[in-house]
Amino acid sequence: MSIATWFKGVRLPRGTAFGPPTPLPPPERLYLPLRQHRGSVCQAKVEPGQQVGMGQLLGSSEEFDSAVVLSPVSGTVEAIRDFADPAGQPVPTIVILNDGQDIWATPEGEVRPPLSDPDEVAKARPTRLLRRIREAGLVRAASHGLPLHVDLSPPMAPRSYLFMTGIPVVRPTDTLVIRALDHDPPVCPNQAALAGLNLTELDLGVTALKRISGAEKVILAVPSGQVANEVMALARLREWEVSSQSTTHFPYCTDNLLVMSLTGREVPTPYGEPRDVGVVVEPLVTALEVGRVLISAKPNLERVFAVAGDVAKPQAYLARLGTPIAEAIKAAGGAVGGSGKIIVGGPMMGFAHFDTLTPITKETEGVFVQAAEHLRRYDDHPCIHCGRCVASCPVNLVPSELSKLCEFQRFEDAAEADLFHCIECGVCAYVCPARRPMVHYFRHGKSEVLARRMEE
Amino acid sequence: MSSPLLTVSTSPHWLGRTTIRSMHLEFMLALAPALITGFYYFGFPGLSVVLLTVASALVTEIIAVRVTSLPNRIHDLHAVLLGLLLGLILPAGVPWWIPVVGGALTIILGKMVFGGLGNYPMNPVLVAWVALSLSWPEHMNAYFAPVALGSGGDFAVTETPLMALKNDIGSLEIFELWDLWVGNAPGAIGATGSLALIAGGLYLIIRRLIPWQIPVGALLGCVLMSLVAAYTDSRLLEMGMEGLAANLKVAWFHLATGGLMITAFFLAPEPVSSPVTPWGALIFGLGVGVMTVIVRTWGAWVDGAFYAVLLLNTLTPILDRIRPKVLGKVISGAV
Repeated sequence: MSIATWFKGVRLPRGTAFGPPTPLPPPERLYLPLRQHRGSVCQAKVEPGQQVGMGQLLGSSEEFDSAVVLSPVSGTVEAIRDFADPAGQPVPTIVILNDGQDIWATPEGEVRPPLSDPDEVAKARPTRLLRRIREAGLVRAASHGLPLHVDLSPPMAPRSYLFMTGIPVVRPTDTLVIRALDHDPPVCPNQAALAGLNLTELDLGVTALKRISGAEKVILAVPSGQVANEVMALARLREWEVSSQSTTHFPYCTDNLLVMSLTGREVPTPYGEPRDVGVVVEPLVTALEVGRVLISAKPNLERVFAVAGDVAKPQAYLARLGTPIAEAIKAAGGAVGGSGKIIVGGPMMGFAHFDTLTPITKETEGVFVQAAEHLRRYDDHPCIHCGRCVASCPVNLVPSELSKLCEFQRFEDAAEADLFHCIECGVCAYVCPARRPMVHYFRHGKSEVLARRMEE
Repeated sequence: MSSPLLTVSTSPHWLGRTTIRSMHLEFMLALAPALITGFYYFGFPGLSVVLLTVASALVTEIIAVRVTSLPNRIHDLHAVLLGLLLGLILPAGVPWWIPVVGGALTIILGKMVFGGLGNYPMNPVLVAWVALSLSWPEHMNAYFAPVALGSGGDFAVTETPLMALKNDIGSLEIFELWDLWVGNAPGAIGATGSLALIAGGLYLIIRRLIPWQIPVGALLGCVLMSLVAAYTDSRLLEMGMEGLAANLKVAWFHLATGGLMITAFFLAPEPVSSPVTPWGALIFGLGVGVMTVIVRTWGAWVDGAFYAVLLLNTLTPILDRIRPKVLGKVISGAV
């Protein structure tokens, strides 16, 4: 971390340290959106009234960029109707009435032999591993994540970017970063997963990801001072590099900035990915899910997520996919204080939801509950040009100017001034003394520009 | 749905503690050492000038809000801060109506005609100061000698170190440099105590309320330009002052006197009218420092710091275009 980045971003209060995830009993009704990631929507393969078993295919798509939706419980399909996804868009959703039996659809629930030897995984054909991941319907455990098999496959044609040097760079993937960090500190599923780690799962998962991505080097990015000795021993054995990072320095645990501070490589924006600079970043939760899928040879039907904020017992949980948020909040002791916001994701980058039946999906990292007493209000005060946002912006934008341009509807000018490089981390709005809704202006500006370009 | 009524908004759902009001309160806290120094050296005449400007600014803002039907934001304490700053750059010997008119001009001419906080192009305090010193130069030069220098608690109008320097370069030898730094010299109420102003300014920089580039640039620009000025000044040679040490003494003198310190730490980094980008702010600061010494050495006025800020304020929109390189930005048209 350089001196310049030290003064950028914000320091957030350290959340309560989470213990290992607690299993949550499957609820009575589960809601399974047919799209739980960035990409294409699946077609429903079941009909209302039909009996389904655990692991039965509920939805799939011909498109490559979609992950199959499998039933996490056994029961009856009650209805298929539209629900809001984390971004608020309607998505067809299968509602399943749980019969509490947990009967697998196939007799043993096993389709392929388990892979539990790390050496075997390290030599397995990448396509074979990738097929297993695809069949298990894994999705990168991050908001707006891609299906894992898409995330791990190299793009059809390598993309090259001209950097400041002016030399086109096409990099083969050489580094795999396992991110045991959470970018929104109080909502920390990855740190909770690190606390209750199954070493075999970690070993297998990371080995498989390394094999598939073709990386030579593995970097385990961990919160400082929270790593068990066994993990360190395993990392030494497998020659993984362990790098401690501060978790409270927001937003330096987001993927692009993490890659920057770990490898010094600048991820091209707005449409680039860490892969374009030769790095694949996966959350720890995803790596563990890969390990579990390989060991058990069963699809992954559960998700580690955190419930934080104004609840009686902030905690990490392991719940079936499709569990409504309301159940998770109830398990965490219920919301404390007046009803305010229910946020999927963290307090800095999460989406506030209007419906507590919104389910835990494959891209959910956690839920943050904010009581009415803790709500913060924005103001429509004019920008006072104090420059705090400019001093804090982690990607060196001039947010004050952008917000003024978006406020007065000069969207094309804002796009000229690098509006699309904004990562919407919300640091500018956090430090703004005038309480301007900066991220709101930027999202509005981006959508207006995109809409106008679509028209042309 | 059986959901409770929930609030929805864009992220972030947490906001920092700093508000406009708290920011202005911290500015006032940073001005406190200068105010105390001014009170110590100029006594009740000094204090009453400051109180009058603050009261006048507040009352004018209340009236202006009523007349223009703009939203009433008097509680953000901006008027108090502007009044305080204006009071600190006025001489202690002005008649009572100068601070009253000055406070009103700050709010009306400097701030409210442009639409209030956030919209004015130039520092309102300095706009009012220029209006006052062009209209009533005889009053605006009524600088009191500090009580410590004067005769037993009697206030006497004297010439400031800068006036003395303008008339006779030999006055470099008259003033004790240490006196200039602690503020024991004739001058504006809050502008003489350089050490007190530095203490307040450092607080602002550490709290990240002003960009460090502007004060550093202003002081650096002042030193460099006064070295140039001293190097080209034949009168110094006639006095037998030669070499870098003598030139540095001139630079040191320029740093400690006049309105430079209050300008560098409080007036130039005034948020609304100064640039926000790192390089823009540094150039702004350097410009302020250089222009200050140019006006002091070759200009018609005695002190150039305030004029320098007003001049550089007009360049702020241009300086704001010097943006830092956006992280991850690819050379345009290369993808």
